[in-house]
Amino acid sequence: MTTNSIRWAISSLKEKMDGAASELNKLDGALGDGDLGVTLSQGFRHLQDDAPNLPDDVGMALLQCAQAFTRVTASTYGTLLATGMMAAAKATRGQNAVPWTEIPQLLGAALKSMSDRGKGQLGDKTVLDALNAVRLATEGLDEPAAQVKAAIQAVDQTMADFRGHPFRRGRARIFGDKGLELDDPGMVALKRIIQSLI
Amino acid sequence: MKKILNRTEDYVLEMLEGLCSAHPAYFKRRGAEGRVLVRPEAPIAGKVGIVTGGGSGHLPVFTGYLGPGLLDACAVGEVFASPGVELMAEAIRAANGGAGVLRLYGNYGGDVMNFDMAGETVEFEDIRTTTVLVADDVASAGPAEREKRRGVAGMVYCFKIAGAKAATMASLEDVTAVAQKAADNCHTVGVALTPCTVPAAGRPTFTIGETEMEIGMGIHGEPGVRRGPLRTADEITGEMLKMLLADMPLKSGDRVSVLVNSLGATPLEELYICYRYVARELAAKGVDIIAPLIGRYATSMEMTGMSLTFCKLDTELEALLLAPCDCPFLRC
Repeated sequence: MTTNSIRWAISSLKEKMDGAASELNKLDGALGDGDLGVTLSQGFRHLQDDAPNLPDDVGMALLQCAQAFTRVTASTYGTLLATGMMAAAKATRGQNAVPWTEIPQLLGAALKSMSDRGKGQLGDKTVLDALNAVRLATEGLDEPAAQVKAAIQAVDQTMADFRGHPFRRGRARIFGDKGLELDDPGMVALKRIIQSLI
Repeated sequence: MKKILNRTEDYVLEMLEGLCSAHPAYFKRRGAEGRVLVRPEAPIAGKVGIVTGGGSGHLPVFTGYLGPGLLDACAVGEVFASPGVELMAEAIRAANGGAGVLRLYGNYGGDVMNFDMAGETVEFEDIRTTTVLVADDVASAGPAEREKRRGVAGMVYCFKIAGAKAATMASLEDVTAVAQKAADNCHTVGVALTPCTVPAAGRPTFTIGETEMEIGMGIHGEPGVRRGPLRTADEITGEMLKMLLADMPLKSGDRVSVLVNSLGATPLEELYICYRYVARELAAKGVDIIAPLIGRYATSMEMTGMSLTFCKLDTELEALLLAPCDCPFLRC
C-alpha cells in the first residue's frame, strides 16, 4: 500500500459514497440524528480535494486524511473513523510502502484506538464488531482484491449475527426491543465503504 | 427569541471580534476564521502552555481566562458546540513554548474525544501534552462515579491555580499534578430558574414553570436532580450547601474558596444574598473562606440561576490561588 493506493481509494470512495448517502441517512435517521450519509460523503469529498497534496510517507498521508476528515465532520462516526486513520498513521509513519499483509494489524490498531475513544466494546452491535470481523477475515491474505471480498463477507456475516441482538451504545440503545432486527447503520456504512474499494 | 444580535450565524465570530477589539492586550485570533484565541505573548519559551476549549455561550468561560498567571490559548466552538479537533490542535500549537502543553477543560463527551484526537495530532509534531478534566458538578453523578461528572464553574479555580503554577516555570508534570489536585478539590452544584436559548435553535433549551426551580441542572440545560416550587434564597442555598457538604465534608479549621456564580441573568444582589448565607453557615462550622468570588464567572447565556462552588485548599493550592493573575474577567 502506497500513497497512490490511498489516492485511488479516496477517488473511488468520493464517487461511490455520494450514491450511498441517502440510504445511510435514512437508516441513521431511524435510530439517531440522520446525518451519517452526509457526514461520510462530505468527508470523502474533502479528502478528494486534499488528495494531490498527500506526502509519500504513508503514515503522514493517513494523518493528513484523518485531519481533513475532522475538519468537515463533527459527528461521532466521523471522529471515530478519523481516530482509526490516526492509529494506522502512527503505525506506518516513516514508510513509503506498507505490505498488504499488514492490513489486519493496522485494523487491529485502529480498532483499539476507536474502542478506547468511543468507550465501546465488542458485542455492543457497532461498527467495531464489523471491523473486528474484517480484521480476522483478512488475516493471511496478501492481495487487496481478495481482502476486499473477504471483508464484505465478514461484514455481512456480522450484521446477520447481530440481528436479534439489542443496541448497547449510542442513542440507538433507547429503542430496546424495537432495535433487535435493525442493522447498525455504522456497520452498513462500513460495508458501503469497503464495497467502494472494488 | 428575544436577543440582541445581527445574524445568528455570525453570533460567535462577531462576539470574538468585539472581545479582541475591546481587549487587544489579552487576546489575538488565529486558526480557521480566527476561532482560536491566544495571549499575544504566547508561546512563552520554556513555560508550560495551558489550553482550554469548548462551546461558546459561557463567557467568561472559556475564552475569557487568557492572560498572565492564567491560560495561553483557547479553541472556541459555536454556542454549546465543541470546537472540533483542528481548532484544538491549533490552540495547542499556539501555546507550545517547548515545555509541553496541558489541556485543561470541562468533562463533556464531544470535547474529550476531540481534544484527545488533537493531542494525537500534535504528537506527530513532537509536542508533549497532558490532560486534566474538570468534573465538579456533584449533581451529574455520585462520588463513586466522580469521573463521569460534568465540568462547570469549578473550571475557574482550575484555570487560576494551574495558570499560577505554570507561571513559576514549573514542569509539565508538576503543572498537570497541581491542576488535577485543584480539579479533585472542586465541587459545584447549580440551580436553574429559567432556560436559555441557543441562537441557532431559536427556542429555549427546556421548559420550566413560572414558579418552579430545578436543582442540579447543567450549564447546557442538562436535567438536574430535583424540580420543585421556587423557595427562598436561604432555603435554596441551604439545600445546595447540604449537597456540597455531603459530597465533601468540611471540618473546623478547613480552608475553602467559595464561588457564587450567576448563570447569566441572576443579578449580583441575589448572589450576595446567597453568599451571606454560605458565609454564616461555614463560619458556624469553623471553616475559613479564602478569596471568595461572587459574580458572573461561568454562564449559560441568559439562564436565570446560580451555582455554588467550593474549592478546598491546602497550603500549595491557597498560595497559587492568591498568586498574581491578570485578564479582563479576573485579577489578583
